[in-house]
Parts: sequence; structure tokens; C-alpha cells
Amino acid sequence: MSEAYSITAAALAALGPDDVPPELISGTHLIYSSPAALAFNSPGAQGFGVKRAGLAIPGSVMLLVSPGCCGRNTGALRPGGDYDGRMFYLLMDDTDIVTGRHLTKIPDAVREVCAVCKTPPTVVMLCITCVDALLGTDMDRVCRKAQAAAGVPVLPCYMYALTREGRLPPMTSVRQTVYSLLQKRPRQSDACNITGYFSPLRDDCELYALLRRAGVRQIRELSRCQTFDEYLTLAEANFNLVLDPESRVAASDLEERLGIPSVELTRLYQLDKIENQYRLLGQVLGVELDDREPKERAVQALDALRDAYPGAVFAVGECANADPFELSLALCRWGFGVSEIYGTVSAANFPYLRQLARLSPETKIFSNLHPTMLYYKETPCAAAIGRDAAWYHPHSPSVLWAEERQPFGYAGAQALLEALLAALGGKDAV
Amino acid sequence: MKGLLRRLTPFAPDQSGAAAALYELGGILVICDAGGCAGNVCGFDEPRWFQSRSAIFSAGLRDMDAILGRDDKLIGKLQSAAEEIGAAFAAIIGTPVPAVIGTDFRALRRMGENRLGIPVLSIPATGVRLYDEGAAEAYVQLFETFAKEKLPPDAGVAGVLGATPLDMGRTDPGAGIDEALRAEGAGRALLYGMGAGLDEVKRASRARENIVVSPAGLPAAKYLEETFGTPWRAACPIPAALEARLGELSGRRTLVVHQQVLANAVRGRALSMGAASVDAATWFTLAPELAQPGDVRLNTEEELSQLLTAGHYDAVVADAALRPAAGEYDGLWLDAPHFAVSGRLMEP
Repeated sequence: MSEAYSITAAALAALGPDDVPPELISGTHLIYSSPAALAFNSPGAQGFGVKRAGLAIPGSVMLLVSPGCCGRNTGALRPGGDYDGRMFYLLMDDTDIVTGRHLTKIPDAVREVCAVCKTPPTVVMLCITCVDALLGTDMDRVCRKAQAAAGVPVLPCYMYALTREGRLPPMTSVRQTVYSLLQKRPRQSDACNITGYFSPLRDDCELYALLRRAGVRQIRELSRCQTFDEYLTLAEANFNLVLDPESRVAASDLEERLGIPSVELTRLYQLDKIENQYRLLGQVLGVELDDREPKERAVQALDALRDAYPGAVFAVGECANADPFELSLALCRWGFGVSEIYGTVSAANFPYLRQLARLSPETKIFSNLHPTMLYYKETPCAAAIGRDAAWYHPHSPSVLWAEERQPFGYAGAQALLEALLAALGGKDAV
Repeated sequence: MKGLLRRLTPFAPDQSGAAAALYELGGILVICDAGGCAGNVCGFDEPRWFQSRSAIFSAGLRDMDAILGRDDKLIGKLQSAAEEIGAAFAAIIGTPVPAVIGTDFRALRRMGENRLGIPVLSIPATGVRLYDEGAAEAYVQLFETFAKEKLPPDAGVAGVLGATPLDMGRTDPGAGIDEALRAEGAGRALLYGMGAGLDEVKRASRARENIVVSPAGLPAAKYLEETFGTPWRAACPIPAALEARLGELSGRRTLVVHQQVLANAVRGRALSMGAASVDAATWFTLAPELAQPGDVRLNTEEELSQLLTAGHYDAVVADAALRPAAGEYDGLWLDAPHFAVSGRLMEP
């Protein structure tokens, strides 16, 4: 075979979630390693992996306890950045990885780390990897010993790549960890937390204004907390908004420990679905959220793109701040085309896939991870959306749509539409 | 504390070295990991990966694969990939996961060769060792497997061993290394794995000599000497940008911290340009046959600052990423990027 495996949206929708072809299931084959698959193979290489995420608590430092290879890519966190002086490593040797001898060194290592910090850390995150997953290390016990030795809170961070499709994958676990230092405080009726991402929403996101108009004046995000005291105020929230499903476990924990309930919202690009979601949120909050203005701005951006490039055909990837299937559906519903999607198919995607199959049955679906992607051949498209799609389409305009400030709601859709208009017009891609 | 890095980040591990040695040779490379190691090998330690496609894969191990030791499943995946994409050989490269569960790499190799019908290399990298050890093992297995025939020596051809971007700090085949060696009278230089492919590996016995450009190539050079009688010598061209600054070392007591062969080359050139004295230190292999009295293998961060103090050095040639471990040293520092240390390429 010298062709990348793909299946049409119509064929995949017909098969259904219980009969997804093995070529689209990562556990059945070797995982191809290309820049398009980097986010899967090394989540920390782009955006947030466990290491950056674990440092979300202000004033925290991390001690990575692992073979040297696990910390290699932190060299990319260049000196002078936000992580300067916050990463430390306790390297295992051949004996450690078999006997677990390294565990006895951790309390002293944590003490040494605290001693070299210019200001005492608010918490030491102990990050461990596949080795300790296999050794069955009781990290809670290790952390307690280290905490007693160093006199600062010590929390575990599990960078267990082996369990990424398990019950508690690393990025789900770390989301729970970074909220675990919060202690019960009186809840304030005008306060909420936005959870799910490790960086803030775009400043122009209408969600802030809608919440304020609904009487929620203190809108907090972990990534906007500058100090540990600010971080602790997250415990005062009346409710949590959960914008990423990987935060469900954290939200559930916060509800159980601190009595803070949560409401889950989904990042969407279909404007009518965004409107519907805000209507439902308003019902939960007991108010009517007036979203006409931001919606109108998004509609204007859509009209501008549609007028300039009617019927433009896009290639859509999963290395972007979007669900590639939902975004593809939105593009098709707006009258554009989607020639190819590079994505990981799960049951959650099938509601979008079924609609997509009706609107664009010939859209091809690829898996970034399948070995035959070595033979992927670029096909023409108006623009590629996502880091992976851009890698496959070096000769087309692209919008990476992977910036750290998170797009959400109408403002997110508007920004994407404007970025596409700029990219198609030959201006710098985002 | 031994093993505690407070100022530096970890160096390139053995699986990255093994992958770098084999990267251009047309095989299927499988990093035997859960995903993260393959991401590090490719996304951080292999600059060629961003320039062209390569058949490099993660085994995609999951917890039950590791707990149950499902080698047959791995070989099955490898067989499917080999059928889909075809390859001259396959290489299975270890990581911490197989090291912890005690994977039998020889057995993997035999199983793979039986099922695939092509040569299979298996490099038992562990992730706790350094890149040069992994590269050295890969080179030896490569020549053991493919360089079978004794050919008459070709006076115009020299083999080059140990050239990977991790050591040479360059990605382009040859990268000026062949011209530099030709100027030294080496004839046509074949950089195995950086321009010279598997066919050249198979004909390695025809080289009139082998030139070891980094310690990673030394065990293979010795193997080829024992097997075919090919003599070897160590030499490494100094990047022009660095060489242009070596005059600044005149009269200075200098410490060079790099891979040993380049450090030796810098020493020779610096002494010829008037350096008062030059010692070499390395975080990696310190081969006794290439070392001089006073040369040091570094093991901990503290050792670098202690060495600088004890040696009264007033000039250092080393990757700038090592500067934070230099303590209170405030003398001259000539930056010599070492990709295996900092992930920075050298200026030509």
C-alpha cells in the first residue's frame, strides 16, 4: 500500500461508533510520529502537557522524578520565561528503575529544591512517570514524607503516558491536582470559576460580559491568578463553568469537597448551537442572557468570509482549539466545503459525523496516527485549519488556530472566521 | 545530591541517540514506549524530523501491554506496518517501560525477523543512559547486521562514524564535514546515517579508513577494525563560527566541555593559536584512548563549578546552556552549541 488510509464521512457514519475501522483506532497499530501527531505523542511539546499544567498554581515548582528522557523536552521552556527556576529533576539510574530506590531520595531532594528557590515555593509538585506507574509507587505516601521533610505542601502529578486512555488519564488527573489545595471557604453568590483550560479565554469572549450582566461579578480563572492568595479565592465560587470534559473529574471533586456545583459548556462553532447553549445556561442561572450583539458580530464575520470566498473548501485538523468534526459541520452548514478531516474518532463525535455525512458525504477522514500517513499526499484546499492540517498542506494558506488564549463562544467563532478571511487574502496566518 | 538537576535540563537520552544513528537509513524505527518518548525523540532530539517524513513510530504501549508483556502484540503491529509501508529493516528501540518490565530485546529481534522476513535491530535503550551509548549500540548492530562482505579497500573512500545532528549540530547531509575531512586528505567521506545510506553501510569494508567524529562511533570503528582490518582515527571539524573565535583563547587557561572528539579538536587548534593550556571535560563518553591527563568526565552539576574553581580556568568553550551550572565563574565563555545538551544547532 502506498496511500494514506481514509474513509468517507458517509461510510464512517454508516458503520457507527461500534464498528469504527481499526485504522482509526490508535491501540490497534503502531503510532506514526510526524509533526502532525506531536500533540498525541508528546502533549507537552505544544501547548500544555502535564509539566506545564502542573505548574499552574502560582508560586509552585516541580520536581520531575524520572529517567532523564522524560524531562528532555523541558529544555524547550527557555530561560527567562514563566517557568524559569521552577523545574527541577531527580534523575533515576538503572538500579532505581528496577528497585524503586529513588523514592528514598525524594524528601531530601525536595528539601534541596526548596533551599535553592529564591522565594519559598507555595507547593512542590512531584511529577512521576511510567516507571513509577509500573512500580506501583504510592505517591500519596511519598508526598506526605516529602512534605514533612520540607515543610511545604507536596502534591503528586502523574505523567503516566501508559494510562492515557484509562479511567483517569494524565491530563484529567492533573486538572484535579491543581485545584486540590483549595480549602472550603464561604461561597459568594456573585463568584464563579471558569475551568478546563490552563490559559485564559480570549479577553473579547462574550462569556465574561454575559456573566457580569447576570450578576456574576467575580469571574475567576486559575490561569489569571497571579498569587497564591488569589488562587485560594477560587474556593469562594458559587459555581464552576467546565469548558473542557477533561475537567469533569476536577469539578466533581470540587463539588464533593467544597460544595461548588458545576455547569458544563462545550466549545462550539455552529452559531445556533452557541445561542442554544447560552439559553440553557441562562435557564440554569435563572436569567435571560442577551447574546444578540456578539452573535451579530459573528454573523457579520461569517457573511464577510462567505461573500469573499463562497464555497471555499477547507481541510480541518484536530491540533486546533476546536473539535474537528463539529467545526467541519459548522463550515459545511455555513455553505463551505470540507475535503478532509484529520481526527481521532470516538463515540462523542458521531452526532456531528452523522450530520456531516448528510451534508458532505465525501469528506475524507484520516487518522494522524496511522502508519500509512507516511504516504499522505497533499490535495488542494482553500485553507488548512489546525497545526496538523497545516503540516499536510504546506502549499495552502493555513490558520493554525492553536494559540494559548482560548477561543470560546461567538467571539471564538468570529475570530476564526476573521483569521480565515485574512489567511485566504494572503495576510499572515494566525 | 547525585542525580538532582537544579540548574540544567536533562541531556539527550540513549533512545534519541539510537534513533539518530538509524534515522536516514530507510528502516522502520519503533520507539518501544507509550508515546511520550517518541514525541521527545522526534520533537526535540531529531531536527531532521521537521524537514522530511520518516518511518518512525511509537509502539503505543498501554498499561496492560506492559503488565502482561505483550511482545506478540507489538510484533503484530510491526508486521502490519511493514506490510503497509515496506522497509529494508526494522529497529525496535527501548525506553524506560521495557527496561522496567525486563523486555528481552534479543527475543524481540528473533520474533521480528521470523515474522517480518527482514533484518531487525533491537536496541535495549533505557532512557536513563545518554544518547552516545544508544547511538554506539545502534551503529554496532547496524554494521554487524549489514556489513558482511569483505571488499578490497578503496583508497579514495573514508567512512565517517558517529555523525548525527546530536553531535554535529547540523542536519544537512555532509554538512561541510566531508569537505573538511577531504581537506585533511581523507578522500571521499561517507557519513553513515547522514548522507551515506544502507548500501554504503553494506560496503563499509571498502573504506580505507574510518574517521570517528564522536565517541558514539568508536565501538563501531573498533568492530570494523577487528572484522575487516579497517584502521580508524578520531577527528572532527570545528564549526567555522567557533573556530573564528579560538584566537581569543590565546594565553588563557581553557576548559572545553563538549563531546570528546570535538573537544580534542578544539584543544589542538586552540593550543596552536596560543592558548596557555587546554583541558577537556564531557558529560558523555570519555574514551581513555582519546583522553589526555587532566581530562574529566562530569557526572553532576556541582562538578562543573568545582572543576572551574579548582582548575583556575579563565576561558571556557561550551554550550551556553551549561552556564547556569558554572557557579561563580566569570571568565571568557565561548558558546559551542551541543544539540544533545541544549537542542541548539551550530552555526555553520
